[in-house]
Amino acid sequence: MATYSDCLKGEGTFMFNVVSKKTPRLDAEAKVKGLEKFASDIALPGMLYAVVLRSPYPHAEILRIDTSEAEAMGAVCLTPDDVPDVLYNERGVSIPAKTYRDRRVLPRKARHYGEAIAAVAAESEELAWKALKALKVEYKVLPPVLDPIKAIEPESAQLYERVFFGEEEIAIKNNIACEREITVGDADKAIASSDFVVEEEYELPRVYHFQLETKSAVCNPEPDGSLTIWCTTQSIHNVRILIGSIFGIPLSKVNVKKIPVGGSFGSSIQMNSIIPICAALALKAHRPVKLVSSREEDMYDHCKYPSRIRLRVGVNKDMSIQGVEAEVLVDIGAHQIQAYPLLGSMAGWLVSLYKWKNIKYRSRAIYTNKVPACAMQGYGNPQMNFAVESHVDLICEKCGFDPIEFRLKNHVGIGDEFWGQGPTVRSIIKSCGLEESLKTGSELINWKERGHPINKTGRYRRGIGLARGFHTSSAGAPGPAEVIDYSGATVKVNEDGSVDVLTAVMDLGGGTWDAIAKIVAEVLGLPLEKVSLSPVDTRTTVYDVCTHASRGVFAGGGAAYKAAQEVKRKILEVSSVFLQEHPENLELVFDPKRNDAVIRPKGVPFKSMTLGEVARNAMVTGLGSIAATVSFRQKTCPPSFVTNFVEVEVDTFTGIVKLLRAVCIADCGTPINPDGVKGQLIGSLARYGGYALCEETEYSEQGRLKCEGFITDNKIFTTEEMPFLNNIVVHFTNTYEPTGPLGAKGIGEAAGNSVASAIANAVYNAIGIRFTRLPITPEKVLEALRGKEA
Amino acid sequence: MRDKLINLKINGKKYQITVKSNTLLLNLLRELGYTDPKYGCGIGECGACSVLLDGQLTLSCLTLAISCDNKEVITAAGLSEKDQLHPLAQSLIEHAAIQCGFCTPGMIIAGKSLLDKNPNPTEEDVRQYLRGNLCRCTGYAPIVEAVLDQARKSKS
Ligand code: FES
Ligand code: FES
Repeated sequence: MATYSDCLKGEGTFMFNVVSKKTPRLDAEAKVKGLEKFASDIALPGMLYAVVLRSPYPHAEILRIDTSEAEAMGAVCLTPDDVPDVLYNERGVSIPAKTYRDRRVLPRKARHYGEAIAAVAAESEELAWKALKALKVEYKVLPPVLDPIKAIEPESAQLYERVFFGEEEIAIKNNIACEREITVGDADKAIASSDFVVEEEYELPRVYHFQLETKSAVCNPEPDGSLTIWCTTQSIHNVRILIGSIFGIPLSKVNVKKIPVGGSFGSSIQMNSIIPICAALALKAHRPVKLVSSREEDMYDHCKYPSRIRLRVGVNKDMSIQGVEAEVLVDIGAHQIQAYPLLGSMAGWLVSLYKWKNIKYRSRAIYTNKVPACAMQGYGNPQMNFAVESHVDLICEKCGFDPIEFRLKNHVGIGDEFWGQGPTVRSIIKSCGLEESLKTGSELINWKERGHPINKTGRYRRGIGLARGFHTSSAGAPGPAEVIDYSGATVKVNEDGSVDVLTAVMDLGGGTWDAIAKIVAEVLGLPLEKVSLSPVDTRTTVYDVCTHASRGVFAGGGAAYKAAQEVKRKILEVSSVFLQEHPENLELVFDPKRNDAVIRPKGVPFKSMTLGEVARNAMVTGLGSIAATVSFRQKTCPPSFVTNFVEVEVDTFTGIVKLLRAVCIADCGTPINPDGVKGQLIGSLARYGGYALCEETEYSEQGRLKCEGFITDNKIFTTEEMPFLNNIVVHFTNTYEPTGPLGAKGIGEAAGNSVASAIANAVYNAIGIRFTRLPITPEKVLEALRGKEA
Repeated sequence: MRDKLINLKINGKKYQITVKSNTLLLNLLRELGYTDPKYGCGIGECGACSVLLDGQLTLSCLTLAISCDNKEVITAAGLSEKDQLHPLAQSLIEHAAIQCGFCTPGMIIAGKSLLDKNPNPTEEDVRQYLRGNLCRCTGYAPIVEAVLDQARKSKS
């Protein structure tokens, strides 16, 4: 693998003491010792165990639930009658006026197989399962709607009659959850008058997040009437606000703890469906209750948005694009978690990839009786990227253009407008490493030697492919938008000069907490070991919307940066008393000799005090604590650009596609945690390698998952599907984002968006077959090869 | 369902406990406070629950506690002393092979089991031995690298 000396060439990097240096994770020791406490590791005295009854039908009314036998066994039972009659949306990111609400804690109608319809809690897990078996449910089975195309036909059953959009009750017709159209210029006319018109339809599968930790919660009713919650979540404040509003509890009396999450990839942006169930049981039982989902239950809880995307693009002989027409259909399953902003965001990913000039975008989200779809690393971007980056290669093939030249000529870059989260979140691009990425990557993979598929013969055929993508950093924007995006932090200096940081920002495993600590250490001139992240909860932190949209470092770190700046100002103010200098003449710097932060008059190094001395003096003289709390919103949403070059080998006898080599090039501005950035890029190779080649959750005609909860039947990448170590190269481009904390942008989602597209393009280069539908399974390869011969 | 009194050593500590005939080793360990073996699937597909049972790599979610009478269990927490990390744990940290950390305890146990059996593994050996331990975060490369590097270091 590329070493850091290879990939950390950025000029800016040597100016930092802590940031962009390789440091061991702050939580590493706890994690290798297995001492980190995840939600499912929390155990409280007197705790009850909860299990959930799930619908055995994809579509059925719940007529009656008889709990008498279960209650006689000593179980606490929860049915739709026991939960508040509130329709909510589980994701608190869009502004209320742009949020669809269709969900109840327990529904009166099951809308997908495996949907929670009742729950019990008992003294032991075993007793809980026995009590669950004793529940008697009367269903009225309804015909299921499984195909999104048939769903809109008038004779199809209807999942919903009415839902809420903001405060307004609206009718749902033909299972159409929502629609969005965006028009720029006159695409029809521009395409009609182009030299070439290229049209194709692409299809992306429904895949499961498979975060390693299944969704779990522990809820404890406290003596003061409050409720404490430990749960899997990407936003503790969202859980607090939702639980408070559903159950009518003041927000000061709902306390959600910040704990580690065992992976998430978007599956806990929304409050997981089991959390309010667990809360309701705890409130009913007046006892602490623990609820841990099984893997199969978890598979019935969330998945990625499956999409069909039809593209029609007009191009002229000089390689200039004239216009694009895009039609998008998303099968969202049984609930609308965030389909409306998704359709807007997918438009944004499209318009921000290339300069189309004229755009006609039409999109629709359809309800079906399947697992509700939600964001999964990329939020519609990998789907759109696969369509567009496949299409760009198709255009180049048809029109005889060079794929790199074409991308260089038409890409959106510095000075252009970027849509970070749909049409209302826009900013101007100020840093872009794409040109460098294409150049460096093509050298590293040996692009020029890739050859042409017609010249490739024999059983094993190799191909090289490329795709480029990006993702937003946060949903920051200069004015109000459809999306809430702000964060907060408290920074306080202790009496020995060490520093505590209080932030509600969640770390999903990517190293966000390390980044925040490093940013604060850098601003305050401290060695990293003097900065600690406090264990906090919703009571002790100001609001942060969510760790999503690759905003942890950019927006969460941005808030910590602001708070640290404020603390720095205060340190200089307090120091001025002791050093007898005007604060403006003082500087706060890292002193490598003392390995500490020192405050000194500018240019007078010998007259200095350490931060610890200043803080101690401030205490003794009664000047008080040095601390600051900020609530902060980023005004921009700068994209990180990532380019993937890959080499694959297709076995034309078995149809198996192997990922042999990968070059991942990232422009994330300053890499605050170089290891973390590298981790995102390589982790994404595995996740999106799976997306390209093997992952899909298929349904039986009865609306059940064919894999029935088995991972093996819904295969993800293991060690063996990854390229060998020497065949993975990571490279960082030399960029600095002026609007990011210390030059940083978010990398989490950008890391994955173009991986599957590059793999599909490489398969084409190997065997001359363009797969427009993922995953490219051995069966599909063999079928296509046979079709080609015939 | 018959209960049975078993003798069990967990990370060096002796226990005499009554277990039900259907109690899984994973659940028993976690109830006793050894929460480092994780539940990832419960059906032997992910490796998150891996422990060493009398030195053998074992999926505790597929093992009945009753079958562990007079045996010794070692979990990831038992590999590292209070202030001394297990060298493989140290190597995983150095190679940034930990992200969310949910797979980590099982991964360390599997890695140690491999190095116990084969102190000199090739990259192919490591990939093959660890393929039953799923990790959704890291893409495995840093984990494989950490195990290989540890093997290299303990040779020198
Ligand atoms: S929990 Fe034992 S293998 Fe997954
Ligand atoms: S580090 Fe998250 S599953 Fe391995």
